Amino acid sequence: MTVFEFDHFCFTYPKETEPALWDIRLTIPEGEFIALCGLSGSGKTTLLRQLKPALAPHGKSEGTLQFFGKPLAECSERSQAADIGFVMQSPEAQIVTDKVWHELSFGLESLGYDSQTIRLRTAEMASFFGIESWFERDVCTLSGGQKQLLNLASIMAMQPKALLLDEPTSQLDPIAAADFLAAVKKINAELGVTVLLTEQRLQEVFPLADRVIVLDRGRVITDASPREAGKHLLEIGHPMAAALPVPMKIHGAVANDLPCPLTVREGRNWLGAFLKESKIFYRAIPEEPESTNTDKAVELKGCWFSYEKAGPDVIKDLTLSIPKKKITCIVGGNGAGKSTALGIMAGIFKPARGKVKVNGRTALLPQDPQTLFLKNTVAEDWAETLDGRLSNAEKQKKLQETAELVQISPLLNRHPYDLSGGEQQRAALGKVLLTQPDILLLDEPTKGLDSSFKITFAKLLRELIGSGVTVVMVSHDIEFCAEYADYCALFFHGGIISSGGARAFFAGNSFYTTAANRMSRGFFQNAVRNGDVIALCNKNQNRKD
Amino acid sequence: MRNRFAELHPAVLFLYFTAVILFSMFFMHPVFLAISLFCGFACSAALHLGKTLRFSFRFLLPMLLVMTAVNPLLNHRGATILLYVNDNPVTREALLYGFSSACMFSAVLLWFSCWNTVITSDKLVYLFGSVAPSLSLLFSMVLRFVPRFKAQIRTIENAQKGIGKGADQGSIFIRAKNGMNILSILTTWALENGITTADSMRARGYGLAGRTSFSIYAFNKRDKTALIVLIVMLFPVFYGAFTGENNIRYYPSLAVKPISFVSNLVYAAYFLLCAFPLLFNAAIEVKEHDSI
Amino acid sequence: MQQKSEQKRLKTALPAIFAALVFLAVILIGANGTGERKYFAVSLVLLVGSMLPFFIHFERRRTQARELVTLSVLCAIAVAGRAAFYMIPQFKPVAAIVIITGVCLGPQSGFLVGAVSLFVSNFFFGQGPNTPYQMFAFGLLGVLSGILYNRGLLKSSRASLCLFGGLSTLLLYGGIVNLGTLLLSGLPPTLSAYLMVCLTSLPFDLIHAASSVFFLFVLAKPMIQKMERMKTKYGLFSSEK
Repeated sequence: MTVFEFDHFCFTYPKETEPALWDIRLTIPEGEFIALCGLSGSGKTTLLRQLKPALAPHGKSEGTLQFFGKPLAECSERSQAADIGFVMQSPEAQIVTDKVWHELSFGLESLGYDSQTIRLRTAEMASFFGIESWFERDVCTLSGGQKQLLNLASIMAMQPKALLLDEPTSQLDPIAAADFLAAVKKINAELGVTVLLTEQRLQEVFPLADRVIVLDRGRVITDASPREAGKHLLEIGHPMAAALPVPMKIHGAVANDLPCPLTVREGRNWLGAFLKESKIFYRAIPEEPESTNTDKAVELKGCWFSYEKAGPDVIKDLTLSIPKKKITCIVGGNGAGKSTALGIMAGIFKPARGKVKVNGRTALLPQDPQTLFLKNTVAEDWAETLDGRLSNAEKQKKLQETAELVQISPLLNRHPYDLSGGEQQRAALGKVLLTQPDILLLDEPTKGLDSSFKITFAKLLRELIGSGVTVVMVSHDIEFCAEYADYCALFFHGGIISSGGARAFFAGNSFYTTAANRMSRGFFQNAVRNGDVIALCNKNQNRKD
Repeated sequence: MRNRFAELHPAVLFLYFTAVILFSMFFMHPVFLAISLFCGFACSAALHLGKTLRFSFRFLLPMLLVMTAVNPLLNHRGATILLYVNDNPVTREALLYGFSSACMFSAVLLWFSCWNTVITSDKLVYLFGSVAPSLSLLFSMVLRFVPRFKAQIRTIENAQKGIGKGADQGSIFIRAKNGMNILSILTTWALENGITTADSMRARGYGLAGRTSFSIYAFNKRDKTALIVLIVMLFPVFYGAFTGENNIRYYPSLAVKPISFVSNLVYAAYFLLCAFPLLFNAAIEVKEHDSI
Repeated sequence: MQQKSEQKRLKTALPAIFAALVFLAVILIGANGTGERKYFAVSLVLLVGSMLPFFIHFERRRTQARELVTLSVLCAIAVAGRAAFYMIPQFKPVAAIVIITGVCLGPQSGFLVGAVSLFVSNFFFGQGPNTPYQMFAFGLLGVLSGILYNRGLLKSSRASLCLFGGLSTLLLYGGIVNLGTLLLSGLPPTLSAYLMVCLTSLPFDLIHAASSVFFLFVLAKPMIQKMERMKTKYGLFSSEK
């Protein structure tokens, strides 16, 4: 059976001349797991929302879109609601009611089922997802990952035939994201529900998907198996290739005829096969001399902190120094106290004991950029942070300069909430930079950014370092930290466990490290970045030849 | 100890508290007042002893004295004059009426303190669910948003502190302004994020005709027994109300119906009604103890 | 199927019968009493009776998802705001938010936000015998601001809103709740007793009125802007007013 079928489908937003979707021809058979990828603004969300008429944006569409052989628009509202499930990005904002059981039953109540049926269905879903123990809890006691799982479960209680997910893991930490995707895979594998998922993290999704569709400016540019799609992206040098799984990227950059690996395990097998014939001659990347920067921007000594007087200590005997004019990344698990440590450096929290020495003015970019927006346009919002004594011309100049730096000049007169997630992040960064900090503190700055903007963002950080700013960031994004940080520190249980130059740091970890490092462990000694593995492979190959 | 009474079906609890609170408000007969005040205190103490004691001694007792003293100064009806204050008579009836009113008020407040512990928000949301589904959903959504907004206020506060605009930074005017900015940021955030919530509702079929309202509360045998017992006890009390057993006349002079066999029966029923939570808990305790 | 709908009808009819019985009981007991409690009984019946049409209208209206969310957001801001300033007694933004709602979204929504935010915030602060009076008073504030705004008697200017907010919180809200206290307490329903009750609560009522003026002064303009934006961007409440 075909679930969805697009035929020459086009869609144009009101007041726009360029179509947002152009000549889409897709057939989605029952039971497939499809990953829909593309950069921000490529039209993937627009495409996904076309499949759920209640959420479809206003605009003009041409061509046909069928659901089980019948035009989707002609399906009853009831069928559209029950048969097509839709999970959105924000775990928080999707939850409507105050109790877990009420949330699970919300859709079934809308469909008008009697209590007996609802009781059975919610019970089934709760046991399928293993969330029975939450059943009577208040939703506000759940973590972000649990909330998103609840959103998924409350959609699944309606027993949809197709499940659409719009970047469902972009707000989750890596562990919660993996759990969530595993649950989606389980739904697909055990219930045969058709899954369409848009994602930025191709690393996690590629091994799960049966088929990958890549969109670029509203057009389908690839529609193939993950391996084929990845290969195609690498061949045409598409910016989306930056988001591909690391083994794939490394395989693509090294001349070889072996099959393309998807996961780290396959990557190791590939590397073994690739290097087998000869003995491995080059094993290590030459160590760059560590620039010894003794100037410290921030020094914490023996700091202790707890949110409530009687509460547990979140920061325990933390000693940490941040070198000036460098990028320092603090990585570590959820709830380890990383963000709290950042808050201490920013002066938001005062430690109960210990010394805090901050040399310069700090400014913190919070995780949620929306917590900074006060005014009706970005320009007004930014102007609010400027010194009132400046002349208008000076103010304008400053605003323009900052807008260029964070690349949102054309958006200055828009309402902050009319911007996309990535643009909001940039607007917030601009606002923070306008306070002219010497030390820029960033809390999960790459969350929800697409792979191509991450590169731009890294360049921006480098520019700031060049102008004398110190950057400290807290992140779950190991790949980003390994690629761009000067120093890294691992946070665990309220304190620093290990720290050092980025390469030495990640090479020293065996689990909490990059995919490239995990893939090349045993073959190479200190290859941490993708480029390291590629360089060593090529070196060994050249010697062979 | 588990409070078995509080585990009864919300409809039974709602009926019980509505009856007891309304009776306490209207029956000014000394026996009834005494029963209601005593049982209200006992039930509240059974739920939370310390809080009840503190509330009674710090608030109720002083109020009792003040109200008893104030009423005769404002109200000069009554036949038995005790003394004159500023040429105005202070009557025994007015004094007693003030005392009774204060007792009534205390009893009502004590019963409300039980209500607030036993009738939790989800029970009320459920009760409204069958009569007023939209209103009940609105309650549930507000209850969902309140803790979320409180947490967001803290997040915004910290974020603003991070760029030097906290509610504890700068002069008092700047602080007040920063504090209001936090509320303003919260409002925009809440209204805009609400659109996603609304989308999530529509994605799950909100707005289709024939919405039902589900709850995890089931009406079991124990609820049925409790309901029957309650109704049986309500009858004599109502009978008493209509025949005037529960009434008292304060002005011009005190007058109550003489105590009779019937009035004793009504008193007993009212006592059983008011003490129902305690008796119910005790009965369940005995029953379950025996069955082990 | 026939039987099921019959059952359903019975299920919805039962609460109505229950409510009618309670009403009847209140009237009979109140009127039958010695007279001292009858004012209270009558006020309770009038209060509930005057609020019912608003709630019934809301039930019948089949509110859009976005409107329902907006209403609950406003209620929740009022409740969370009340909780945020709990250290200062009676210093609460509820009245300000209710008035702004009345002005922006009309009397019906104004009433709803007023009555519901009070009711829900009492889940956190504890319900009491004067809950119905407070609900009624806040609801009335919302209705009145909506009606006056629609008639052009209340402007969305800061001065006009602050004046209305201060006076209505002090006189209307304070007046109604104090009347409730008087009738409930069993003090004689005379003018002098009423004035005494008002006098004892005057400091609190003044703080409350001052807080309304303060919140309206700082919040009215940005809040109205935000709501207007929601109305134009998402087409909310176009059928109301």
